[in-house]
Amino acid sequence: MTNEDPDLKYDRSLLGAEQDMGSIEVTHEMIVRFARSTGEANPIYLDDEAGKQSKYGSIIAPPTFCNTFVNGGTRPDIGLKFGDVSLFAGQSIETLAVVRPKDSLHASTKLKEVYAKTGRSGKMVFVVWETSFTNQDGGTVALVEESFVSRKRNPR
Amino acid sequence: MNDTELYYEDLDLGDEIGPVPRVVTGEQVLEFVTVSRDEVGPSRFTSAEVAKSEGLPNPIVPGAMNIAIVSQLITGWSPTVTLRKLDCVFRGLVPHNKPLTLKGLVTDKDIVDGTPRLECDVTLENEEGTPLVIGKATVIVPMRGG
Repeated sequence: MTNEDPDLKYDRSLLGAEQDMGSIEVTHEMIVRFARSTGEANPIYLDDEAGKQSKYGSIIAPPTFCNTFVNGGTRPDIGLKFGDVSLFAGQSIETLAVVRPKDSLHASTKLKEVYAKTGRSGKMVFVVWETSFTNQDGGTVALVEESFVSRKRNPR
Repeated sequence: MNDTELYYEDLDLGDEIGPVPRVVTGEQVLEFVTVSRDEVGPSRFTSAEVAKSEGLPNPIVPGAMNIAIVSQLITGWSPTVTLRKLDCVFRGLVPHNKPLTLKGLVTDKDIVDGTPRLECDVTLENEEGTPLVIGKATVIVPMRGG
Protein backbone atom coordinates (compact mmCIF):
# COMPACT_ATOMS: atom_id res chain seq x y z
CA MET A 1 0.00 0.00 0.00
CA THR A 2 1.39 3.43 -0.98
CA ASN A 3 0.23 6.76 0.34
CA GLU A 4 1.27 10.33 1.00
CA ASP A 5 1.51 10.25 4.74
CA PRO A 6 0.70 13.68 6.22
CA ASP A 7 2.48 12.64 9.41
CA LEU A 8 5.83 12.25 7.62
CA LYS A 9 8.20 14.88 8.94
CA TYR A 10 10.60 16.33 6.34
CA ASP A 11 11.33 19.63 4.66
CA ARG A 12 8.52 19.85 2.11
CA SER A 13 9.91 23.10 0.66
CA LEU A 14 12.50 20.94 -1.14
CA LEU A 15 9.86 19.08 -3.16
CA GLY A 16 10.36 19.97 -6.82
CA ALA A 17 12.98 22.63 -6.07
CA GLU A 18 15.90 22.40 -8.52
CA GLN A 19 19.31 22.09 -6.88
CA ASP A 20 22.42 22.83 -8.93
CA MET A 21 24.88 19.91 -8.87
CA GLY A 22 27.56 21.55 -11.00
CA SER A 23 29.27 20.79 -14.28
CA ILE A 24 31.29 17.91 -15.65
CA GLU A 25 33.83 18.17 -18.44
CA VAL A 26 33.72 14.73 -20.01
CA THR A 27 37.11 13.40 -21.01
CA HIS A 28 38.15 10.51 -23.23
CA GLU A 29 39.89 9.00 -20.20
CA MET A 30 36.70 9.13 -18.08
CA ILE A 31 34.74 7.23 -20.71
CA VAL A 32 37.40 4.58 -21.22
CA ARG A 33 37.92 4.11 -17.48
CA PHE A 34 34.17 3.82 -16.89
CA ALA A 35 33.85 1.24 -19.67
CA ARG A 36 36.97 -0.70 -18.65
CA SER A 37 36.12 -0.78 -14.93
CA THR A 38 32.64 -2.14 -15.59
CA GLY A 39 33.93 -4.85 -17.93
CA GLU A 40 32.34 -3.32 -21.03
CA ALA A 41 33.30 -5.22 -24.19
CA ASN A 42 31.52 -3.13 -26.83
CA PRO A 43 34.36 -1.39 -28.73
CA ILE A 44 32.43 1.82 -29.44
CA TYR A 45 32.98 2.70 -25.77
CA LEU A 46 36.66 1.78 -25.69
CA ASP A 47 38.36 1.82 -29.03
CA ASP A 48 39.02 5.01 -31.02
CA GLU A 49 39.11 3.23 -34.37
CA ALA A 50 35.81 1.42 -33.70
CA GLY A 51 34.31 4.74 -32.62
CA LYS A 52 35.47 6.44 -35.83
CA GLN A 53 33.93 3.67 -37.92
CA SER A 54 30.62 3.87 -36.05
CA LYS A 55 27.66 6.11 -36.88
CA TYR A 56 28.81 8.39 -34.03
CA GLY A 57 32.24 9.17 -35.50
CA SER A 58 34.05 8.76 -32.17
CA ILE A 59 33.86 6.71 -29.03
CA ILE A 60 30.80 7.47 -26.93
CA ALA A 61 29.98 6.95 -23.27
CA PRO A 62 28.10 3.82 -22.21
CA PRO A 63 24.40 4.51 -21.57
CA THR A 64 24.62 4.60 -17.76
CA PHE A 65 27.75 6.81 -17.69
CA CYS A 66 25.95 9.80 -16.07
CA ASN A 67 25.07 7.67 -13.03
CA THR A 68 28.60 7.91 -11.76
CA PHE A 69 28.22 11.68 -11.33
CA VAL A 70 25.10 11.47 -9.20
CA ASN A 71 26.47 12.02 -5.75
CA GLY A 72 24.00 11.88 -2.90
CA GLY A 73 26.43 13.74 -0.66
CA THR A 74 25.88 17.01 -2.49
CA ARG A 75 22.13 17.02 -1.94
CA PRO A 76 20.46 18.93 0.85
CA ASP A 77 19.35 17.07 3.95
CA ILE A 78 15.57 16.77 3.77
CA GLY A 79 15.38 16.30 7.53
CA LEU A 80 13.38 13.10 7.37
CA LYS A 81 12.26 12.05 10.83
CA PHE A 82 11.75 8.36 10.33
CA GLY A 83 13.67 5.13 10.79
CA ASP A 84 17.22 4.33 11.70
CA VAL A 85 18.33 2.43 8.57
CA SER A 86 18.61 3.95 5.10
CA LEU A 87 19.29 1.86 2.00
CA PHE A 88 19.78 2.55 -1.70
CA ALA A 89 16.66 0.86 -3.06
CA GLY A 90 16.85 1.41 -6.78
CA GLN A 91 17.89 3.53 -9.70
CA SER A 92 16.65 4.19 -13.19
CA ILE A 93 18.33 5.95 -16.05
CA GLU A 94 16.79 7.13 -19.28
CA THR A 95 19.33 7.91 -21.97
CA LEU A 96 18.12 10.61 -24.34
CA ALA A 97 21.28 11.50 -26.27
CA VAL A 98 24.83 10.22 -26.61
CA VAL A 99 27.67 11.64 -24.49
CA ARG A 100 31.05 12.14 -26.17
CA PRO A 101 34.53 13.17 -25.05
CA LYS A 102 34.77 16.98 -24.57
CA ASP A 103 31.06 17.31 -23.85
CA SER A 104 30.26 19.73 -21.05
CA LEU A 105 27.42 18.39 -18.92
CA HIS A 106 25.43 20.23 -16.31
CA ALA A 107 23.52 18.40 -13.58
CA SER A 108 20.59 19.52 -11.51
CA THR A 109 18.55 17.52 -9.08
CA LYS A 110 15.24 17.80 -7.33
CA LEU A 111 13.36 15.94 -4.63
CA LYS A 112 10.65 14.22 -6.65
CA GLU A 113 8.59 12.54 -3.96
CA VAL A 114 8.55 11.14 -0.44
CA TYR A 115 6.04 8.44 0.32
CA ALA A 116 5.30 5.72 2.82
CA LYS A 117 4.65 2.10 2.06
CA THR A 118 3.68 -0.66 4.46
CA GLY A 119 4.89 -4.20 3.92
CA ARG A 120 5.42 -7.36 5.94
CA SER A 121 8.38 -5.79 7.72
CA GLY A 122 6.39 -2.71 8.68
CA LYS A 123 6.38 0.86 7.49
CA MET A 124 9.04 2.12 5.08
CA VAL A 125 9.58 5.60 3.72
CA PHE A 126 10.87 6.10 0.19
CA VAL A 127 12.74 9.24 -0.85
CA VAL A 128 13.02 9.73 -4.61
CA TRP A 129 15.44 12.17 -6.29
CA GLU A 130 15.48 13.00 -9.99
CA THR A 131 18.66 14.31 -11.59
CA SER A 132 18.85 15.64 -15.12
CA PHE A 133 21.97 16.09 -17.21
CA THR A 134 22.08 18.63 -20.03
CA ASN A 135 24.88 19.11 -22.53
CA GLN A 136 26.57 22.25 -23.88
CA ASP A 137 23.79 22.64 -26.47
CA GLY A 138 21.09 22.68 -23.80
CA GLY A 139 19.78 19.23 -24.71
CA THR A 140 18.89 16.77 -21.98
CA VAL A 141 21.13 13.71 -22.32
CA ALA A 142 20.01 11.65 -19.32
CA LEU A 143 17.46 11.51 -16.53
CA VAL A 144 18.44 9.56 -13.43
CA GLU A 145 16.00 8.64 -10.69
CA GLU A 146 17.20 7.24 -7.38
CA SER A 147 15.15 5.77 -4.55
CA PHE A 148 16.31 5.50 -0.98
CA VAL A 149 14.32 3.61 1.63
CA SER A 150 14.30 4.33 5.35
CA ARG A 151 12.95 1.89 7.89
CA LYS A 152 13.16 0.99 11.52
CA ARG A 153 15.78 -1.63 12.32
CA ASN A 154 13.41 -3.79 14.41
CA PRO A 155 9.86 -2.88 13.44
CA ARG A 156 7.06 -4.22 15.63
CA MET B 1 30.05 -8.80 -27.41
CA ASN B 2 27.69 -10.51 -29.82
CA ASP B 3 28.15 -9.39 -33.45
CA THR B 4 24.79 -10.71 -34.69
CA GLU B 5 22.56 -7.94 -36.00
CA LEU B 6 19.08 -8.19 -34.53
CA TYR B 7 15.95 -6.58 -35.95
CA TYR B 8 12.48 -6.02 -34.55
CA GLU B 9 11.01 -8.71 -36.78
CA ASP B 10 13.48 -11.31 -35.44
CA LEU B 11 12.48 -10.90 -31.81
CA ASP B 12 9.46 -12.05 -29.86
CA LEU B 13 8.05 -12.28 -26.37
CA GLY B 14 9.83 -14.96 -24.35
CA ASP B 15 13.14 -14.62 -26.20
CA GLU B 16 16.02 -14.99 -23.78
CA ILE B 17 19.02 -12.68 -23.53
CA GLY B 18 22.22 -14.23 -22.17
CA PRO B 19 23.10 -15.78 -19.80
CA VAL B 20 26.33 -13.79 -19.51
CA PRO B 21 28.78 -14.77 -16.74
CA ARG B 22 30.58 -11.98 -14.88
CA VAL B 23 32.98 -11.47 -11.98
CA VAL B 24 33.65 -8.02 -10.56
CA THR B 25 37.11 -7.61 -9.05
CA GLY B 26 38.21 -5.25 -6.31
CA GLU B 27 40.53 -3.55 -8.81
CA GLN B 28 37.59 -2.82 -11.12
CA VAL B 29 35.61 -1.31 -8.22
CA LEU B 30 38.58 0.88 -7.27
CA GLU B 31 38.86 2.16 -10.83
CA PHE B 32 35.10 2.74 -11.06
CA VAL B 33 34.87 4.87 -7.91
CA THR B 34 37.66 7.12 -9.16
CA VAL B 35 36.15 7.80 -12.60
CA SER B 36 34.37 10.91 -11.33
CA ARG B 37 36.82 11.88 -8.58
CA ASP B 38 40.60 11.98 -8.43
CA GLU B 39 40.75 10.82 -4.83
CA VAL B 40 38.37 8.84 -2.72
CA GLY B 41 38.74 7.61 0.82
CA PRO B 42 38.18 4.04 1.92
CA SER B 43 34.53 3.06 1.80
CA ARG B 44 32.23 0.05 2.02
CA PHE B 45 33.02 -0.44 -1.67
CA THR B 46 36.80 -0.58 -1.40
CA SER B 47 37.78 -1.39 2.18
CA ALA B 48 37.17 -4.61 4.11
CA GLU B 49 37.65 -2.67 7.36
CA VAL B 50 35.02 -0.04 6.52
CA ALA B 51 32.63 -2.68 5.21
CA LYS B 52 32.89 -4.67 8.44
CA SER B 53 32.41 -1.50 10.53
CA GLU B 54 29.10 -1.02 8.68
CA GLY B 55 27.99 -4.57 9.37
CA LEU B 56 28.81 -5.95 5.94
CA PRO B 57 30.75 -9.20 5.59
CA ASN B 58 32.96 -7.86 2.81
CA PRO B 59 33.26 -4.87 0.43
CA ILE B 60 30.40 -4.62 -2.05
CA VAL B 61 29.94 -3.40 -5.61
CA PRO B 62 28.42 0.14 -5.82
CA GLY B 63 24.85 0.44 -7.06
CA ALA B 64 25.83 2.66 -10.01
CA MET B 65 28.36 0.02 -11.05
CA ASN B 66 25.74 -2.73 -10.78
CA ILE B 67 23.40 -0.87 -13.08
CA ALA B 68 26.27 -0.34 -15.57
CA ILE B 69 26.98 -4.07 -15.55
CA VAL B 70 23.31 -4.95 -15.99
CA SER B 71 23.15 -2.54 -18.94
CA GLN B 72 25.79 -4.63 -20.71
CA LEU B 73 23.32 -7.44 -21.12
CA ILE B 74 21.69 -5.11 -23.67
CA THR B 75 24.73 -3.23 -25.04
CA GLY B 76 26.48 -6.56 -25.67
CA TRP B 77 23.40 -8.27 -27.09
CA SER B 78 23.72 -6.91 -30.62
CA PRO B 79 25.32 -3.88 -32.32
CA THR B 80 21.89 -2.90 -33.69
CA VAL B 81 20.07 -2.45 -30.35
CA THR B 82 20.06 0.69 -28.21
CA LEU B 83 19.29 0.83 -24.51
CA ARG B 84 16.81 3.65 -23.92
CA LYS B 85 15.87 3.16 -20.28
CA LEU B 86 16.94 0.88 -17.46
CA ASP B 87 15.09 0.74 -14.16
CA CYS B 88 16.71 -1.42 -11.47
CA VAL B 89 15.87 -2.46 -7.93
CA PHE B 90 18.67 -3.57 -5.63
CA ARG B 91 17.59 -6.76 -3.86
CA GLY B 92 20.87 -7.97 -2.40
CA LEU B 93 24.50 -7.03 -1.86
CA VAL B 94 26.74 -7.70 -4.85
CA PRO B 95 30.10 -9.08 -3.68
CA HIS B 96 33.55 -8.72 -5.23
CA ASN B 97 35.27 -11.71 -6.86
CA LYS B 98 32.25 -14.03 -6.96
CA PRO B 99 30.58 -15.59 -10.01
CA LEU B 100 27.58 -13.58 -11.20
CA THR B 101 25.18 -14.14 -14.09
CA LEU B 102 23.30 -11.64 -16.22
CA LYS B 103 20.01 -12.83 -17.72
CA GLY B 104 17.19 -11.23 -19.65
CA LEU B 105 13.82 -11.98 -21.17
CA VAL B 106 11.81 -10.11 -23.79
CA THR B 107 8.42 -9.37 -22.18
CA ASP B 108 6.80 -7.01 -24.70
CA LYS B 109 7.31 -5.57 -28.17
CA ASP B 110 5.54 -2.62 -29.69
CA ILE B 111 5.94 0.33 -32.02
CA VAL B 112 5.62 3.51 -29.99
CA ASP B 113 5.38 6.83 -31.87
CA GLY B 114 6.87 5.11 -34.89
CA THR B 115 9.80 3.65 -32.96
CA PRO B 116 10.06 -0.14 -32.62
CA ARG B 117 10.91 -1.09 -29.09
CA LEU B 118 11.12 -3.99 -26.67
CA GLU B 119 10.52 -4.28 -22.96
CA CYS B 120 12.83 -6.75 -21.24
CA ASP B 121 13.21 -8.12 -17.73
CA VAL B 122 16.85 -8.20 -16.67
CA THR B 123 18.56 -9.73 -13.62
CA LEU B 124 21.95 -10.04 -12.03
CA GLU B 125 22.13 -13.27 -10.02
CA ASN B 126 24.66 -14.83 -7.69
CA GLU B 127 25.91 -18.39 -8.14
CA GLU B 128 22.97 -19.78 -6.14
CA GLY B 129 20.61 -18.18 -8.64
CA THR B 130 19.40 -15.55 -6.18
CA PRO B 131 18.58 -12.27 -7.94
CA LEU B 132 20.68 -9.44 -6.50
CA VAL B 133 19.56 -6.80 -8.99
CA ILE B 134 16.32 -6.96 -10.96
CA GLY B 135 15.20 -4.51 -13.58
CA LYS B 136 13.27 -3.56 -16.65
CA ALA B 137 14.93 -2.35 -19.82
CA THR B 138 13.40 -0.40 -22.69
CA VAL B 139 15.32 -1.21 -25.86
CA ILE B 140 15.13 0.38 -29.30
CA VAL B 141 15.56 -2.11 -32.15
CA PRO B 142 15.52 -1.20 -35.85
CA MET B 143 13.14 -2.70 -38.39
CA ARG B 144 14.63 -4.50 -41.38
CA GLY B 145 15.14 -1.97 -44.15
CA GLY B 146 13.98 0.78 -41.79
